[in-house]
Amino acid sequence: MPRYYFNLRHRPGPAGLAVDPEGEEFPDLDAARKRALDAARDHIARTRTDIVRDWFVCSFEIEDEDAQLLLTVRFSETVPEVDYGD
Amino acid sequence: MAQPQHSAVRNRLLKALSADDFALLQPHLQPLRTELRQTLIHPKEPITHLLFPEVGYASVVADVAGNRIEVGLIGREGLVGASPVLPEGGTTPYHEFVQSPGEMLAIGTAAFRATLDQGPTFRTLMLRYLQTVLIQARQTAYANAAYTMDVRLARWLLICQDRLDGDDIPVTHDFLAVMLGVQRSGATLAVQSLEGSRLIKARRGCITVVNREAMVELVNGSYGGSEAEYARLIEGM
Repeated sequence: MPRYYFNLRHRPGPAGLAVDPEGEEFPDLDAARKRALDAARDHIARTRTDIVRDWFVCSFEIEDEDAQLLLTVRFSETVPEVDYGD
Repeated sequence: MAQPQHSAVRNRLLKALSADDFALLQPHLQPLRTELRQTLIHPKEPITHLLFPEVGYASVVADVAGNRIEVGLIGREGLVGASPVLPEGGTTPYHEFVQSPGEMLAIGTAAFRATLDQGPTFRTLMLRYLQTVLIQARQTAYANAAYTMDVRLARWLLICQDRLDGDDIPVTHDFLAVMLGVQRSGATLAVQSLEGSRLIKARRGCITVVNREAMVELVNGSYGGSEAEYARLIEGM
């Protein structure tokens, strides 16, 4: 199975990226995306940290083993878009 | 390997024993090399041996509904198996395994119990040790409720460093996540936070403590109290 790296972008610039040194194996990118959304939900719900002020500005930058960016998953994607009709 | 000598043991409980009590235990102590992730105690299974860590430490992990969270750490200050065996409860709900490999001295449960009956001062020391385990667990409960992940990581690193020689703490982010009860990306963030404050240096699979004094300051009293109680109860300091 391919290994995916879930780098956490919490603010602009190099200091704003927490680089995943270990990665995790998934059958495909879609499974990795689901994992990223689950992790994002868990962070929003219960992770208290001094480094992140607002989880909703964060995103996972999912990379492959060659450090090529495959997909960006924004934490805001955990909340479904609601059409209030206005 | 030869039988361990009292003057040479590194485990703080064994060091604190009287010469008479150590002599009772000595014939039963079997040196054991430990390997990373080696299981020492299976949850809900009869415990056949207790282990005095000499080098390295074990993690106590609760595995509930697929969530693995570290709830204890036992190194050279302690005895793996004491809290289930001393009150004769027989088993524990937790999985206890080697997190830092090294050496432990194993003793069969029956021999351990027999020694408790023969050595009243040994029994007192073991009961005092249980009290220190309880204090440590309560301090951890307090820290988990009161502090952010970053502070809890700092506290945990201090506790690990006390149980190792030197400043290097071998650990993966995957296990740090178990220890902090967060996602792996949360562990990575906490490491970045402490590294950004120049308290630690991280490389793959290893964290080096570079400013211990600043870490003690950061954890704001959540570290040190139970360590002082240990010194008072076990070592009479």
